[in-house]
Amino acid sequence: MSLSSFARLTGAAALVGLSAFAAPTAPASAQTSGDPIKVGAIVSVTGAGAGLGGPERAGLLLAEKEINAKGGINGRPLKIIVEDDASNPDTALSKANDLVFNQKVVALLGPSLTASTVAVGGVTHANKIPQIAFTGIGPAVERERKCLAHVLPPQKLNAQALLEYAKNIKATKIGVLHDAGYGNVVLAELKPMVDKYGVKLVAIEKFEIGATDTTTQAAKVKASQPDAIFIIATSATPFRNIKQIQATQPIVAAIGSSSYDYVNAMGPAADNIVIPEFLVGEDPLPHQKAFVELFKQTYNSTPKNYEAAAYDAANIIAAAIKKVGPDAGGEKLCAAMKTPYSGVLANYDFSADDMTGIPVGSYIYSKLVGGKYTRTPFRVTQ
Amino acid sequence: MTLSLVLQAIFAGVTNGIVYALVGMGLSAIFKGSRVINAMQGEFSVVGAMTTVLLLTKAGWPYPAAIAAGALAGALLGAGLELAFVRHMARKNASEDSFLLLTIGLALTLSAGTLFFVGRDGYLLPPFGEGVLIVLDAVIQFHALWLIAIGIGATLALRAFFHRTSVGLSMMAASIDADGAATTGINVARMRTYTFFLGGLLGALGGILVTPLVAVDYQLGLNLTLKGFAAAVLGGLTNPLGAAVGGLTLGLVESLAIIGISSSYKDVVAFTVLIVIMILMPNGILGRAGRRGG
Repeated sequence: MSLSSFARLTGAAALVGLSAFAAPTAPASAQTSGDPIKVGAIVSVTGAGAGLGGPERAGLLLAEKEINAKGGINGRPLKIIVEDDASNPDTALSKANDLVFNQKVVALLGPSLTASTVAVGGVTHANKIPQIAFTGIGPAVERERKCLAHVLPPQKLNAQALLEYAKNIKATKIGVLHDAGYGNVVLAELKPMVDKYGVKLVAIEKFEIGATDTTTQAAKVKASQPDAIFIIATSATPFRNIKQIQATQPIVAAIGSSSYDYVNAMGPAADNIVIPEFLVGEDPLPHQKAFVELFKQTYNSTPKNYEAAAYDAANIIAAAIKKVGPDAGGEKLCAAMKTPYSGVLANYDFSADDMTGIPVGSYIYSKLVGGKYTRTPFRVTQ
Repeated sequence: MTLSLVLQAIFAGVTNGIVYALVGMGLSAIFKGSRVINAMQGEFSVVGAMTTVLLLTKAGWPYPAAIAAGALAGALLGAGLELAFVRHMARKNASEDSFLLLTIGLALTLSAGTLFFVGRDGYLLPPFGEGVLIVLDAVIQFHALWLIAIGIGATLALRAFFHRTSVGLSMMAASIDADGAATTGINVARMRTYTFFLGGLLGALGGILVTPLVAVDYQLGLNLTLKGFAAAVLGGLTNPLGAAVGGLTLGLVESLAIIGISSSYKDVVAFTVLIVIMILMPNGILGRAGRRGG
């Protein structure tokens, strides 16, 4: 463990353990007064989704401090009540009931996982509470929920972003190494699109979630002699294995593997891997710089996509409340929320069919070089 | 299916099989000595590997010393489990289910403790040998060869220990017939502590050996326990050496199923084969040898 990864480790531990209690340092403050405007948030700080919920909570609290330091919402302070659903939809539902009926929040942010988002949607939809989920759109029922927005792309868009890169490097034969959870979902969206991109999937190899060895699957992908390899997983294992068997093809990984946790666990294999994602903290886009700087000052670590998504969600709801006032009611707040918004993560349009409206052009393509993120010049032009 | 792919699958199967074997041997040694099904066997691996990682990277210990300390940490955790919990529960004639519940609870506690103190990150150890061996286009890491050699060495050493040393023979006697062993002057309780020490040592050794290939994190333990348990049952739960055969069988069946059928049906094929083996040999592949003392 290098000194920097140890610093990151302790930073992450501090975020997980302390951020609910520790006040992040905020910019010079303006005065707020009156009762706080309460917004609920449900994230998975523990359990299987902890890799998402911890960063999301950090993003939410940062946004709250910044908004309040700049005078709150029309002079009133914003209070984001953050709850942990322990990655469990039942817990998410009971937390949502508490936030909506007891705490009387005007809007709900989160949850981190699709199953919880669907469960919580039952409460927010029935009570006309605006909800901004930290997921991409999930099952069909979500389309009926008129006051729901998503700040992360649907899996179809993640699949499209992979294919756009394949087109860019003129790879027509693709080998896919994927896990049985996240990987299955993205693959299902990928398959119908391959013809349009003139791509053939020459090998599709699956491994179970939490697999400690995928060498044989990786060898089968390599033996199919693809032009490029897609790895769609939430694990470092397939990346290590594909390098161990000395596959030399370009590797393109779906956004699920983009966190520092996974990249650290890849070890020397974290090299020459391209990831379509949204934020490279080491080299942010001009409009992302202020957020990255503030995050680094506050938490002494570098943010990735989930921190930025949650930060955007808090700012989006604050902007909507500012526009119509905190007592306007759910329907007016919804209407105010459903407008185009230029966030740190992406340009959203919540009136779009997929309830997020992120264009594929919002993706940036990062490249891991010697375990470090770099930003490639490639963007999809539309 | 090419020869190179088959060879690659065999390399992967043997490497994984040795790891399953080391975890399974520890689990089986503990079961043989105490009738406790140890659901925290994989946690010995995590504690052993994590201790080695922290001593090597944070405290700057030399690699061999960190490995020795990691192995010792696993062994002491095993002995501690016996002294702090199992001994008292056994005195009150606790049932096998109670022991199972105890070890499941401790496994979850240790996993949560690792998450709290070390975090979510996965950690790798340096390989024992850099580079790879390429045979007919199939690639195997030098470290995997070390792992296989040390795994086989540990298996042979365990066999010699149980058959040739007075402590090993006493442990075997205490496990086969505790009352009989006690009448010949063997301290049965102490032998049980040794059994847990040995189980912890084998688990930690497996964890340390696999960490240059598989990053150790707080979630690894359960996965190893399940594979080790399958290996131990397959080989005959009362025979630690059977777990070595069981582990290798499991590893090879898993990886050959991927190239023979499809990675989508890997588990279906692997577990079908295992079920057939269990139907044909209900005491495990080396079950009867286990009754003779393993």
